Amino acid sequence: MDRALHLVRPGEPPPNKHLLPSSVLGMLLFIFTEVMLFAGFISAHTIARAGAQAWPPAGQPRLPFRETLINSAALLASGAILLVAHLAFRKRPADARGPAALALFFGLAFVIAQGREWVALIGEGLTLTSSTYGGFFYLIVGAHALHALGAILALAWALARLWRDRLSWAQFSTVAAFWYFVVLVWPVIYLKVYL
Amino acid sequence: MRRRVALLVSGALVLGPQVALACPMCFDPRAENRIAFAATAAVMTLLPLGMVGGLLLWLRRRARALNGEAANRNPDSPPPP
Repeated sequence: MDRALHLVRPGEPPPNKHLLPSSVLGMLLFIFTEVMLFAGFISAHTIARAGAQAWPPAGQPRLPFRETLINSAALLASGAILLVAHLAFRKRPADARGPAALALFFGLAFVIAQGREWVALIGEGLTLTSSTYGGFFYLIVGAHALHALGAILALAWALARLWRDRLSWAQFSTVAAFWYFVVLVWPVIYLKVYL
Repeated sequence: MRRRVALLVSGALVLGPQVALACPMCFDPRAENRIAFAATAAVMTLLPLGMVGGLLLWLRRRARALNGEAANRNPDSPPPP
């Protein structure tokens, strides 16, 4: 073997394989880039809002912050329930099935409710091109919805494997980390975009 | 002659430029805009440092805890650095 591949010198302890699964580390690095993506969106939104004469602009509907608060509660509940499933998985993987399925259900409810909200807003004249306000709304909330859909698919995949007792701790932690990101970035979006 | 030209050129370069007042963070007439630029610049600068730094600190603490557990299980092994 090439000498350059020997990362551990003789006499040094071997690397600790229990420190963090590679898949979780990879997901964390991916999440860091996603956090920066959303930070960029929110920064641009903050600057556009500060420079605007009126927000929302004249003729544009106010975002339904009360209805969305209920959707947000469903998403936050989903994150908390997945955390319960995550903790249960460590003791007995079969115990995580119920909470994980419930978390998936709440996540789906959030995405469906957001979709209905979009249909209503488009009916009221708020579109991607109607104003900067509409453009930012669909860009930021749409990017989040895409992430939520991806995370739901990943969660559904994990749940299917969990039901067949073929899900490892590392796989579950990787999928859960992405879902926690989707859940935790939402309150920031809600506070900055909706209020 | 060369000296005079050099003095003229350097004098023009030093005295000629005007302050452009183009930086939105420093010279925007609206306080809201200045605050928004400063706040977002701070967030975008500190966020990646905080995330990477936080992960490294957490990994270091976890490695130390795991090394401590391993040393307790095997008292003959040398202490972690």
